[in-house]
Amino acid sequence: MKKGLLGVGYAVPRQDAWTKVTGEEKFAADYYPENLLWAGAKRAGVSHGRILRVDVAAAQALPGVVAVLTRKDVPGTNRQGIVHKDQPVLAGEKVRHRGEPVALVLAETREVLAQALARIRVEIEPLPAVFDPEEALQPGAPQLHERGNLLLRAKIEQGQADEAFKECDVVVAETFEVPFQEHGFLETQNGLAWQEPDGSIVMIVSTQAPFRDRFEIAHALGLEMGAIRVISPYLGGGFGGKDGATVQCLLALAAMHAGGRPVKMWWDREESFIAGYKRHAARLYYRAGAKADGTLHALHCRLYYDSGAYAHLGGEIMELGMEHAGGPYRLPHTCIEGWCVYTNNPIGGAMRGFGVCQVSFAFERIMDLLASKLGLDPLDFRRRNALQRGDKNCAGVTLVHSTGLVPCLEAIKRHALWTDREKWKQGAGPFKKRGVGLAAVFNAMGYGRGLPDSAIAKLELTPEGKFRIYNSVPDMGQGNATAFLQMAGEILGQDASRLELVPPDTARSLPSGSSSASRTTYTFGNALIRACQEMKEKLCHRAALVLMTDEVRGFALVPGKVRHLPSGRNLDLEFLAGLFPETDRSSVSQFVMPVAQDVPDTGKEFFIGFPHVFFSYAAHLVYVEVDELTGTIEVRDYLAVTEGGRVINPQGFEQQVQGAVAQGIGYALMEQVLLHQGEILNPNLTNYILPTSRDIPGIESMAVETVEPTGPFGMKGIGEVGANAPLPAIAAALEDALGLRLTRSPFTPDRVLGKMSQGAR
Amino acid sequence: MKKVLLPRTLCELWRHWQDEPGAAIYAGGTDLLVQMRNAAVHPPALICLERIAELRGIETEGDGIRIGACATHAQLLESALVQQRLPILAQALAVLGSPPIRNMGTIGGNICTASPAGDTLPPLYALDAEVELCRRDGVKHMALQDFIVSPGQTRIDKGEVLTAIWVPKAEGYNLQHYEKAGQRQALAVSIASLAALLRLSAAGLVEKVRLAWGSVGPTIVTCPAAEEALVGKRLTLETLQQAAALVRQSVTPISDVRADAAYRRALAGNLLLRLLAVPR
Repeated sequence: MKKGLLGVGYAVPRQDAWTKVTGEEKFAADYYPENLLWAGAKRAGVSHGRILRVDVAAAQALPGVVAVLTRKDVPGTNRQGIVHKDQPVLAGEKVRHRGEPVALVLAETREVLAQALARIRVEIEPLPAVFDPEEALQPGAPQLHERGNLLLRAKIEQGQADEAFKECDVVVAETFEVPFQEHGFLETQNGLAWQEPDGSIVMIVSTQAPFRDRFEIAHALGLEMGAIRVISPYLGGGFGGKDGATVQCLLALAAMHAGGRPVKMWWDREESFIAGYKRHAARLYYRAGAKADGTLHALHCRLYYDSGAYAHLGGEIMELGMEHAGGPYRLPHTCIEGWCVYTNNPIGGAMRGFGVCQVSFAFERIMDLLASKLGLDPLDFRRRNALQRGDKNCAGVTLVHSTGLVPCLEAIKRHALWTDREKWKQGAGPFKKRGVGLAAVFNAMGYGRGLPDSAIAKLELTPEGKFRIYNSVPDMGQGNATAFLQMAGEILGQDASRLELVPPDTARSLPSGSSSASRTTYTFGNALIRACQEMKEKLCHRAALVLMTDEVRGFALVPGKVRHLPSGRNLDLEFLAGLFPETDRSSVSQFVMPVAQDVPDTGKEFFIGFPHVFFSYAAHLVYVEVDELTGTIEVRDYLAVTEGGRVINPQGFEQQVQGAVAQGIGYALMEQVLLHQGEILNPNLTNYILPTSRDIPGIESMAVETVEPTGPFGMKGIGEVGANAPLPAIAAALEDALGLRLTRSPFTPDRVLGKMSQGAR
Repeated sequence: MKKVLLPRTLCELWRHWQDEPGAAIYAGGTDLLVQMRNAAVHPPALICLERIAELRGIETEGDGIRIGACATHAQLLESALVQQRLPILAQALAVLGSPPIRNMGTIGGNICTASPAGDTLPPLYALDAEVELCRRDGVKHMALQDFIVSPGQTRIDKGEVLTAIWVPKAEGYNLQHYEKAGQRQALAVSIASLAALLRLSAAGLVEKVRLAWGSVGPTIVTCPAAEEALVGKRLTLETLQQAAALVRQSVTPISDVRADAAYRRALAGNLLLRLLAVPR
């Protein structure tokens, strides 16, 4: 039995902590019903080619194989994708990346499944392939799709960038390159599905977007959306990697051929690497200029995002990158150009930081280059140009909501890690060099214009007098479920034993957007607050009727009861629940995130997602020590100051910041999907190097608590912003330590040592 | 499902092996089980050595120390005998894998896997360790560097198991240093490693030195020329750089997914320079 206070503004332990630690909490992967079948995909293993033949006879003949399906067995459009529906469920004519599924097997056991997959013979005529986004745009490059290799080309402009460069006293230019990054969640993509006697499909799946999954499955397989039920238990990690169909369409297709038996599909780690999508690799050409007094003046950048074989959310990810390409600074003249390009690499997709991690590296290094050229302190230079309320950002949107970068930078400036940095650097031992780096970043919240960022919360008073919240937005570990309970507990005056949370289930919860875009707690929280307030008001009114008081004033909810404070009389919630029919015991409320009202006359290519109006801000400070003999970088200390409005749960806030920093340190120092001709050379956790606890220092997290008046209890989302800063901060620290500039991440020891020996020459 | 046999004595082992002659012999399983998952090997049955009493234990024997082949890395790391008498081995074990791997993996397994990246190997080479090999009707001993032939290949004969490692009395080394360069601070496969044992005179002159490198050749690399270049000298940057140049010439590293050969070659020399920074 869960007990304890549930309110807003203090550290409430995660409500799912105990059940997860004891193993009681069931993730999608934990479902093993009776009579289970296993499904698995045969993957192309060729980067680009024409399918000549898929011979499934030998697989079909294997005892224990229930069905082997190919393209011709797929009803509907056979196309999945969130915005651009360009990805086949099963490829029939062409394969565009090595992980492309060409056949689907249903088998009695995992062992038979593996044997059957090995027996499928796929004949593919290889086609010339292309693996670099800029090469893919050249005339004569191999074409992946009928409409070419260009997924989206867009431009965001304000002022007169070309003219403005002439007015700059200093101009710097640099090119940056970042690799594909893997999400590396513990629970790889999986789900369980079955077909009900009425033909409908039920799916328990590790997903960030249960409601949108229904659209994708229905569209791809020609089903009625209402005939698909998606249940989303807690996720064993997501980070954006489960925002969009992973196993969903294949699994639904399998369920349609399983005669009502439950089917499980669970990608192993290698398949997760090969078939899952990743943070986009990108190449970023930057030029920026400032006035001699330290005022930023002009930016021109060209950004190339490698979308891999399919769109996923590539265009929208590049959009967000472009909207952040000028950093959290006043920049009157910008010309931001972007190309999101198909290649025969693995699929690029959503990941924490959603296009912003890439450009953060570039614009923050550009800030350091400018500061150095101007002879200004990097912190003062940032502070001087930092966006404040009322300013226009680099996309031309006026910031009318909470805008707290300046206090973040000021908090760093006051901190001992900043004031004592020179002393610390001097204490480096033999063969060690120390450096300190700073980065200021921001990250938009919500979907942006063109796609309502909505949530619908439902709250119910149970016959037992408890409150049941129907959550619509999955908790992938970020702690939104606990935040929802805190908000409900705060408004309804109840402790944990009187609140229940139903996990997202399209048959029970109400349609809401995905668990993504730093919007989860903000949008659903706002809807929930309204539902709770309506419920509270209703119960006070009902209690007034029962107690025959003349007016509703003076009533309050206390644990288990409604109390009339003037008289001290109580009514048990259970008693009250019994008096009213079920239809009267619930409340439903919807919230839609506000959008920018001054849409700039640019970025016309984006039909959804542009622009955004809410941003969270952060300033990070890092201490690194570089070993001159090995090139190894050790992160020795870390300070992250984050502005995300009011903090609902300081513990959850700190965990989000620390997790984001850890992921960002991995991105800076070691994580990269190694590719050769579209083949992943390190599709496993042996050779894809994630940081361990030994690679991550103590991370001090400080919150700058502004108030976002539109937010639930004044909050904004901070799930992503912290991931954007470690890479540029560490790059700055590295340059501080060695006087060397690395423009290609990650900063592996061999690259660092190589650069050092070049520098020494 | 595969048959897994868990003999408790050598006698039981020979009997099981007779029944299952194609069985794979293993202890901690940290390499074999990964290979089996990757379908790189398909043994019909498994025989696990870790419960055989004769293969455990760490004790002094004659002038040296006898380590049972199935002593786990964690047991060795906790052993007072290892900490006091073989500090360089303790240094290597401390950075081997991760706590779970150290709890499962054994020193015998690390040797029989014969990977040039095996973390216990450079210290054991530098210490002139010997292996003890048993078969049903006899025992033989062999120098470790003769035992290991190439990656994954040893001179173990059919019907033999590695039962113990014998480490002779160390020669009064007063500077013992192990360093591994990897892709991260823990759970890392060595990109290059160095075990260095030196005896320095009161005046700071090198009287005796043994050096052994991991991951810069098909097996552990020793470099007598570099050792000779240091004997009789004081440890200065110049001396060490001279020795480092000799090492860089004699290593034969490969390029792989972790690092390229040029980096490994540079490291092999650079790791030697660290001796200047080792507290002594």
